[in-house]
Order: sequence, then C-alpha cells, then structure tokens
Amino acid sequence: MKNQYNILIAGVGGQGNLVCGCVLAEAALQQGLTPTTGETFGASRRGGTVLTHLRLDADDLGPLIPREQLDLLLGLEPLESLRAAVDLATSRTTAIISMTKIETPESIAGKVKYPEITEIKRSLRAICGKVYSLDPGRIFAETGTRRALNAYMLGAMVTSGVTSLTEEHILRAIQTTLKEWDLNRVAFEAGKKDFRSLVDL
Amino acid sequence: MESSSGSKVLMSGNEAIARGALEAGICFCASYPGTPSTEIAAALMKSSQNHDIYVEWSVNEKVALEACVAASWAGIPALCSMKSLGLNVAADFLLNVNLSGTGAGGVVLVVCDDPRGHSSSNEQDSRFYAKAAYLPLLEPSTCQQAKDVISIALALSQKHRIPVIVRSTTRLSHSRSVVKLREIASATCTTSEELANAPYNVPNPHLKHQELGMKLKEIAQDFEKSKLNSVSGGENTDTLIIASGVAFRYTKEAVDLLNIPSVQIVNLLTSHPLPQKDVVDWIKNRQKVLFVEEVDPFIEDGVLAIAAELHLDEIPTFSGKRNGVVPFFGELDTNTVMDALRSIQGIPQKHQDEQDLNTLKLARQMLIPRRLTFCAGCTHRNVYWALGRVKRRIKEGLIVTGDIGCYSLGVFYNEAMNTMQAMGSGIGTASGLGQLERFGLKQKVVTVAGDSTFFHACLPGLVNAKHKNANMTFLILDNSTTAMTGFQPNPGTSKQRLGNTVVSIESIVRAIEPSHFEIINAVDIDAMIETIHKAVEIDGLKVILVNSVCRLEEQRLGKTHEEFSRVVVDINLCKGENCRICTDQFSCLAIGWNENLKKAEVIENLCIRCGACIPVCPHDAIKGAEP
Repeated sequence: MKNQYNILIAGVGGQGNLVCGCVLAEAALQQGLTPTTGETFGASRRGGTVLTHLRLDADDLGPLIPREQLDLLLGLEPLESLRAAVDLATSRTTAIISMTKIETPESIAGKVKYPEITEIKRSLRAICGKVYSLDPGRIFAETGTRRALNAYMLGAMVTSGVTSLTEEHILRAIQTTLKEWDLNRVAFEAGKKDFRSLVDL
Repeated sequence: MESSSGSKVLMSGNEAIARGALEAGICFCASYPGTPSTEIAAALMKSSQNHDIYVEWSVNEKVALEACVAASWAGIPALCSMKSLGLNVAADFLLNVNLSGTGAGGVVLVVCDDPRGHSSSNEQDSRFYAKAAYLPLLEPSTCQQAKDVISIALALSQKHRIPVIVRSTTRLSHSRSVVKLREIASATCTTSEELANAPYNVPNPHLKHQELGMKLKEIAQDFEKSKLNSVSGGENTDTLIIASGVAFRYTKEAVDLLNIPSVQIVNLLTSHPLPQKDVVDWIKNRQKVLFVEEVDPFIEDGVLAIAAELHLDEIPTFSGKRNGVVPFFGELDTNTVMDALRSIQGIPQKHQDEQDLNTLKLARQMLIPRRLTFCAGCTHRNVYWALGRVKRRIKEGLIVTGDIGCYSLGVFYNEAMNTMQAMGSGIGTASGLGQLERFGLKQKVVTVAGDSTFFHACLPGLVNAKHKNANMTFLILDNSTTAMTGFQPNPGTSKQRLGNTVVSIESIVRAIEPSHFEIINAVDIDAMIETIHKAVEIDGLKVILVNSVCRLEEQRLGKTHEEFSRVVVDINLCKGENCRICTDQFSCLAIGWNENLKKAEVIENLCIRCGACIPVCPHDAIKGAEP
C-alpha cells in the first residue's frame, strides 16, 4: 500500500468544515495525489458535530479513516476535537486545534458546564502524539468575522509541515474553492504567523 | 459538473451519478429531496441551465417515478433519484411497471440507502425491492463507478424495457474522490410515437410475470459474460470475500491493514440477478467465503441459494450476517471488516494498553453532548411551546402525532410529540385516533406536518379525516420551504422556478371544508396558545395553518434583523435559579445563563430579535429594549 496520510477535520455545523475538506482535497488533486473525503452532514448540520475525513492519497480506499490510522487532527473547535480524538487519535496523531470554543445549547443555558480549555488541552496531549493549540481570537477581532477560520487553520497547517501539501497548492485551492479571497489571504498569513510563534516558544 | 471530457475532477458520489446521467444522455429527471440522495437531482437542476435536460422536484417519489417512466414511454431517457424510504412510497407503481415495462427511452432508478439511519428513521436495505420486482440492481463502489454505471444501467433498461435500479449508500453518495470524465452526450432528445401505439398495462399479470422471469434469466447470463464484476487479491484460493458497494473499499483496506494480501476479493457490481455461473466458479472448492455488504444479507442469501446446487464436498464455510461474523445491523467500516476477518482467519485481537484506556475514559467523562436542536428563533419551537401550554390547560391532555421534517425534533423538545413515523403518517394516525372516543380515548388529538410533507403525503389522510369526521386538530407548519434537505422549493413555496405555479395550501384546506379553520402567525406565542386551545375544544376536523419562518432560509437569503429592537433580560425582574423557564424549558439557543449574575441573558450574536420569548417569561423580565 502507498504511504497513506489521513486528516480528520472536526468542528460544529456552520464552521465551514466541509469546504475546508474540499480545499485540502483540491490541493491534493492538483499535486497529483488521489484524495478521498468522507463527510458527515444532513441532519447533523443543525448545530451538531461535523466531521470530514480526508485521505490524501487513497486511490479507492474507503472514505472513513480506520482506528489508529489518524495522522492529523485539524480541530476547528476544542470540544469537538477532543470528541474526535477519543474515537480516532493515537500517538501517531498530530493535533492542530483552534481553542476558540463554541458552547453547546445546554452549556449556553447553564444546564451543563463546558469543560475547561486547560483540561481539554491536557487530555488531547495525553491522547495525541503532538498538540498545537491556536488562538484565532486576534484574527476574529481584526477581521470582525469568524468566517476565515478555515484559511487561518490551513495557514497553521502548512507552516507545521506535517503534510506533503504545499503552500502554493493550498492557496490556489483556497482561491478557487472559497469566496472572500482577501479575507482568507489575511487569515491564512495570520495562521502561519501564529503557528511560527507557537514553535518559537 | 461541467468540466470537459478526459479531465480528472473531485466529485461526490451523488455529483458523479448526476454527471453519469449527462454522459448517458438522460434528458428527464424527477426526484423528491431526501438525504442522502438530494444532491443528484440538485446537481442536474443546475446543469439544466446549460444542457437540454428537464429536472423537477416532484411532490413525492411515486409521482417522480411515474413521471420518469412516462418520459421513457415517450422515448425520453429518464433518471429518478430518491432516498431509501422514498422507494417505499414509489413501490406501488414500481411493482406494476416492472410487469408492463418501461419505454424505449429507458429508466434508471437511483436509490440511496442510509445504513445506521444518520438522516433517516430506519436503515432499510432497499435492495429487496429489486428481488420483489424482479429488476436488475447495480451497486457501484467508487465515485468513478457511480458515474460510469449510469450509462450501463440506461442501456440495460433500454434493451430489456424494465427499470434498472442503481443503489448507493450514504458513504458513497457523500464521499468525494477523483473521477475521470467522459464526453457529455450531445444528441438531443425527441419524443417517439411509440406510446400512442403500444398500451402499457398489465392484462395478464401471471404471463407478464413469466416474461419478466425470463428477462431476468437472460440478464443474469449477460452479467456472466460481462466484465462488470472483478476478482482481485492474491493466490490464496482457500478464502474468498464477496463484497459490494462502498463495503468493497473497506474490505480492501482491511485486508491491507491485517497484511493478508493473499485472500481473494470479488467486487460484485451486479447484486441482482446474481451471475449464477460466476458465483459457482467463485465459491466452489473454497474453504471459507465471507460476505461484506450493507445492510442485510442480500447477496449472502442469494449465494447461499446457489450453493445449494453444489456437491456437498464443494461447499465452503460461509460467514457473514447469518452467522454473526459481520453485524446484521448498523453501518460497516474498515474496522468492522477487520474484526470479521480476524474472526474467520483466527487472527488475535490487538491488546489495548491499560494506560491508554484510562486516558480515553477520563477524556470521555469530559465530553458533554452536542444535541440537535431548533435554531435560534425557529418558529417550530414556538409551536411546541404553545402546544405544551395548551396541554396544561386541558384536563384530558393531548396526544400529538408528528411527521417528518425539521419539526420532527419535537420528539426531543419537552417530549412534545408522542409519535413520529413516515411521511404523512401524522395525519393518518390522527385520523384513526380521532375515532377512538367511542372506545374511551380521552385525550384531544393533534397532529403536525410541514408544508412539503403536506403536499407529499398528507392529502389522502386529510380527506379521510374530513370524510369520516375524525375528531382532531391538524397544524400545518408552513415555512414555505423544504428546510430539512436544503431548501428545495415545493408547490407551496412563494418564489418558484420559472414555469412553476404556486399551489396554495390555504385553498386546498378551504376546499376540504374542515369544521374549523384558522391561519395564525407562529411568532405570536400568546395568540397561538389561544387559537390552538379554542380549536382542540371544538368537535370535528379542525385545521390551523401556522405561518412559520425558517431562520436558516432567512440567513441564506441574507436577511438581517437589525431593524428590530433588541431583546433583553431585565435582571431586576428575572427570578434566576428559582425559575429558569426560559433557559431550561423554552430553551431558545439565544437565551443564555449568566453564571456570575445567576440570571438569564440574551446572547446578542445569536438572537434574531423575533421577540417570541417575551411572553414566555411569567415575570415580564424578557422585553424589547428601548430603541
């Protein structure tokens, strides 16, 4: 079997999870790979958990990543990242996670408590091989929107160098797949910068 | 969808099926939206701007199939797509037209099953319709195959004059991979005179049945000679796996991960009728045969029937859903196939590290659920809230029968709905309950259905209720769109596609002349409580048309709520922990809990300022802010 690389994007309905998977798959295709993505949507779209499975060079392997085969967990939300990690991540897994939380309907209503971010981080560290926690709060504030989270996370991912996808191909895929190129370009650069400052620390 | 021949593009299984339809020269498509099938007709609808293809969202799957078959009778190649449960609706027609035959145009019937019921109320295996109706059925495994199989299915339908079923499942329909395109058919479609000269009916069903049986035998022989099914793997002739659909891909990976490349795998595309001679060749003299398919043992049972003709010493040990090696319920994945292979090959399970298990256990304890809920400001919540209040006022209580749509979430909302079954079953069951007073039923009967469901399957139930004078109240939650599946227009939608006409729900209901009819606004909760209360107390068939709003649709159309005044909680009036009616019972997403103040608060960026929650607070603490 070829050298397989498996990415799971975890988030909440409305975060643009599926389109993030499309960008990565498109970049992989342009690099001559044969990606496959598996998407969970439908009823789960209404504010529920959304997962996108991406296998960078799958040929005709199934769309779902088997247990113990997860290489990169790209987390758009901390709680959903932990949920995904519990199911699929191992020491083989690198996690790159946005730590901006989205409360659940019940935690908003004060019926349950959203877990402490420090606890989520600790747990992720215990499960995954490597964890990079990002705070997109600054870019959200600067751009006045959360819509560019995907581009921000992709900027961080490229800088991490964990995948074989090149910056050039990802940027081109962002340009062809996402709207609002100027906004996404800014967010992408912010993601790169924030990731670099993480590693420098 | 529009890329040129020879190019390699990423496509979902559903988009690939749609592209396959264009390449095959399909000129007519009718469908009813339903996950996971919706994107097939949606993609073709987009393409209809550039290609000579007619596409419609029919009122239901039966009408869609009837329309497609009619097109084929007139010589126009047609494709009809639907979800698993949709085929139940269309089945009445399907089990006639299989006998009378389709036309020269040909009909491809695409059914998308939903193993595990991710977006469905069951996980039915629709392949049994192929057996019941004696129809050929093809199961593609990859997006490429999903595209290519449409031409094959259409040719088969045109040759044998019967519908040909193509079956997908959620993980094929909703996965994307690389597809190499062929040329889109350029020939234009023109109707033939055939229909006028050849009546399609079933005068002698038994003779037609005989004829169909012979067609099916001939098709099985064609499948034997074809290259549609393939055998891959190594030299090990002891063990064979027969896999179909997306499960074939899980099987391939399971074999790779367990490092047993020597076993052989059949990728079976022609699940019905089985290529009998090939099957005998595949299984004869093997030690073990494993079946990997979703959901029921369909191929397994077919092969077991063929195996009965083998000599005893040639029969292998069969494993699959019948002996429990593969689970008989739920969705498969690579891990379940690995477990099945370990079981039949005697490979020990991997031992999990104690410390890892403990880490996972601790993490799981932290995971609070993220449940599905109504959107902020969703008017369905208001209706259920009002029903809850009416329930309290009526000493006999209410029975609420529900239906299929976003409002099905009422099952989870303060248990507002007592039953939820199939499309249109709410009014049908209510019509029955409405006769049970004579046997002692005390509760008042209420049923709810949305606008798209109203057109899909509620009309016969409504007429029945009127005709038999059933004692019940019917709430039509009309938000003017098919929200659950992605905002497809239905006959009641105010903004229609070019050439389509609005059909008024109000006019239909008035024509039926219920004992009592009212139209109310779903944002005004107080008025809704009074109106529903009054209606349930009247005898006979009562209908209330509830003008509702889909907030997602509003958002999609770019509507903002800036012009309305903000909604705020007056913390001096809020009773805090002692009350919590707004946060715990009404539960709009935009009403939060302020931990520091121990009071409710409105979450600005979620609130759509509809004000529906204002009368919900018994202490008048929720109010519109001064402008």
